[in-house]
Amino acid sequence: MLWILIAMVSSASNKTLLDVKNVSVDFKTVGGIVHGVKKNSFYVKSGETLALVGESGSGKSVTARAIMQMLAENAVLGKEMEVWFNGTNLQTLPEIEMQKIRGNNITMIFQEPLTSLNPVYRVGDQVAEIILKHNKITKKDALKKVISLFKEVHIPDPEARLTQYPHQLSGGQRQRVMISMALANEPDLLIADEPTTALDVTVQSEILLLLKELQKTHGMAIILITHDLGVVRKNSDRVCVMRYGEILESGNTDDIFENPQHPYTKHLIASEPSGMPDSIPETAKELLRGNALRTVFSIKHGSFINRKKLDLVAVDDISLTILEGETLGIVGESGSGKSTLGMSLIRLQSSTGGTIEFNGNRIDQLTRKEMRPLRPDLQVVFQDPFSSLNPRMIIRQIIGEGLIINKIGNSRKEREVLIKEALNDVQMEANVMDRFPNEFSGGQRQRIAIARAMVLKPKFILLDEPTSALDLSIQAQIIDLLRDLRRKHKLSYIFISHDLKVVRALCHKVLVMQHGRVVEEGLTEKVLANPNTSYTKRLVESSII
Amino acid sequence: MVEQTSSPPVEADNLHAEAKASHSLTYWQLVRRRFIRNSYGMMGFIICILIIFTALFAGFIAPYDAQSGNRKVLYSPPQLIKIHNSESGFQRPFVYGFTEEMDPNTFEIKFIPDPEKKAIIRFFVRGSEWSFLGIKSNIHLFGSDDGVRIYLLGSDNLGRDVLSRMIWGTRVSLLMGVLVVICALIVGSLVGMSAGFFGGLYDLIVQRIVEFFKAFPDLPLYLALTAILPRRADPIMIFIMFAGILFLLRWADLSREVRGKVLSMRSLDYVRAAEAVGASNSRILIRHVAPNISSHLIVWSTFQLPEVILLESFLSFLGVGVQPPMVSWGVMLNQILDFQSFAAAPWMMAPVGMIILTVLAFNACGDGLRDAMDPHSHG
Repeated sequence: MLWILIAMVSSASNKTLLDVKNVSVDFKTVGGIVHGVKKNSFYVKSGETLALVGESGSGKSVTARAIMQMLAENAVLGKEMEVWFNGTNLQTLPEIEMQKIRGNNITMIFQEPLTSLNPVYRVGDQVAEIILKHNKITKKDALKKVISLFKEVHIPDPEARLTQYPHQLSGGQRQRVMISMALANEPDLLIADEPTTALDVTVQSEILLLLKELQKTHGMAIILITHDLGVVRKNSDRVCVMRYGEILESGNTDDIFENPQHPYTKHLIASEPSGMPDSIPETAKELLRGNALRTVFSIKHGSFINRKKLDLVAVDDISLTILEGETLGIVGESGSGKSTLGMSLIRLQSSTGGTIEFNGNRIDQLTRKEMRPLRPDLQVVFQDPFSSLNPRMIIRQIIGEGLIINKIGNSRKEREVLIKEALNDVQMEANVMDRFPNEFSGGQRQRIAIARAMVLKPKFILLDEPTSALDLSIQAQIIDLLRDLRRKHKLSYIFISHDLKVVRALCHKVLVMQHGRVVEEGLTEKVLANPNTSYTKRLVESSII
Repeated sequence: MVEQTSSPPVEADNLHAEAKASHSLTYWQLVRRRFIRNSYGMMGFIICILIIFTALFAGFIAPYDAQSGNRKVLYSPPQLIKIHNSESGFQRPFVYGFTEEMDPNTFEIKFIPDPEKKAIIRFFVRGSEWSFLGIKSNIHLFGSDDGVRIYLLGSDNLGRDVLSRMIWGTRVSLLMGVLVVICALIVGSLVGMSAGFFGGLYDLIVQRIVEFFKAFPDLPLYLALTAILPRRADPIMIFIMFAGILFLLRWADLSREVRGKVLSMRSLDYVRAAEAVGASNSRILIRHVAPNISSHLIVWSTFQLPEVILLESFLSFLGVGVQPPMVSWGVMLNQILDFQSFAAAPWMMAPVGMIILTVLAFNACGDGLRDAMDPHSHG
């Protein structure tokens, strides 16, 4: 099935559209010159999709921006660089000529569709502006063209959308608007920089499908920049694997995936989450139970006189139990109330109704002070390791804080032993203790965040999307680590995620949420193999190949 | 089955870390590095240090004290430092004294340099006694021996040395700035932090109070100072009350800024993580919130200080601020409030130069610090 698709797309044409030689980009920073991209060469044939794949910081986006000459001011381009596009060397063109090419012959779509649209203009006008800039037609005709473009990218009710502002559209629709903008002048080459990363999984697959469809009808080439191997495998003809600004390996997508040559590529492909959670003993006791939980945010709006109250139900009548040593996965799209549910369970978010029992004792009525003795047992690891560690504290202080607060360990030395143990648990050296968080990579920071939770010897950890901000290969390591820790310390987890692949690898049970309600729950294998509701079905289809 | 997934070990992660660790710096090291690169800010910083040094060791640097003067040398113009004369060629720096002559037509008094009254400038000479932090001494950086006074920036209506008074004035002007900024800093950040952190009714009340202070029309209030402050009060009392009023009108802005910062910080994950390990509110405020607004406070102070100095000199110039016998730059300018004395002795404008230099230096320093601490803030 996959092969047929690729064969269809790649048969379109064989003319080389873009030929890039020796792209190298250096950045001048306070710390000296940083090499962003080192002498890369690649080409794109018309009508094909080339994927630039690599982890964050590998120079994918910088390479693409160097082609477009859209780099930050401190960037220095290599002297030997040549960018041949349709027979002209873009490097030699003056800026005015380049402006004609940007948005006309080569266009770009970005990761974050909210920030790449101007919030104070109507979307119709924004798209029309691009058309007017490069064509001599009236505004009326341009708007007509916008409507047909919106139809092409499957925006429902395009006439009405014209006069809407970006915030009135959903993330997926905004990305469709961005794509229609990119298509407006029938480009020969579309550069898509992580076009689906900020979107929910089900929307992701729709957008990628749309891109593929448009590529066929317009016969344009696409450079697809992504870190997601699943996206690469499904959507590209050829692939360049990048690391530290260098292209390590390039070739046909199927060749690379079947028979990777470079060890890094092998490593990347092997780091797709796999495996199954190990079974829990039948005698396991119940650890945490939530009964008919309900969390409502009341939002006040309206004028002073005409004050209205709007109740937003984030968690609606959800009951769940977690056994000792068990992992419960909570999946759902953004805004479905996953995090609120998790935070309510450990009382970091106050709930409006329902009961919570921990070890058989009610904890939902406890005050913040009364909760304090229980805090070491109920820990949390957050999604973003860059905001979850205080930048002004060294690692010793970050991990040791919980010990000091909960009066664990009598002396400095005793605490230090405990901190070392926790660092050892997360497979980090003890000598990192006197360093600041900014000296560590995302994966290491997440390990430190886990160590902060582990040092208190908790019984339960709430994992709030702990891997979604991390690169693929690091993600796999963190999942292994979490699995090991669970086995070693008989931990229970709630694992919040939107990535079903990770959930399959880690969770015994899964709970699918939509709009604050549970739509499906049960053993992970069963739910993923035979989804009952259409929502779960869509989730499964879009995230698992 | 788990083994198969733990595939190539932590290789990639480690490589990454090594690449980073080789040139990893703490936040303050980075700030220092960025600041040193900024030559304009660095220059401002050096001048600031010099000004502060001048203020601290005014007694040593100023050749004379601020009050005593020579009644015979009123409105003497600045003396030019010379190192050469026709008789004895090059020699140690010296100045000529003046003889006064009256123009027979205009009755204007003229000061003519008189080679007879030569005063040699010497370093580390003994003079009037000064004390600073328990150090008592009568040594001055420079001066002239054998009791002859030199006036490098001229003298005023009481025959006092303008240069010396300007140096002494640095102390009062700077002290006023530092006092006001520190008080506003403490109150503003405490109020802002607590309001932003605790929110609710407390925040509501505090915000109304802040608005009340911000609504004060400041210029009429300063002018009304003359009426408020007791005329015959001790100059030090007046100085403190004056500083108090300046402070009352300054803390409100800062508390607003800090409140906003804390509000956004409260929802950050590391604050919530601290809550999850059981940290109390005061601990979160002291350990997590305060250190992260410190850079903002430092930058705020360096921008606020010159503003207060300007305001002080302006009000003292109008005669409503610092009162003599205390000397501040504004008080010195107050002496040439009328046109005639300005025309007769333009050198008494010298403190203006000092004010401009100070304001520029502190602003340059603040600019540099802001860029160094938060390189993304401007744009």
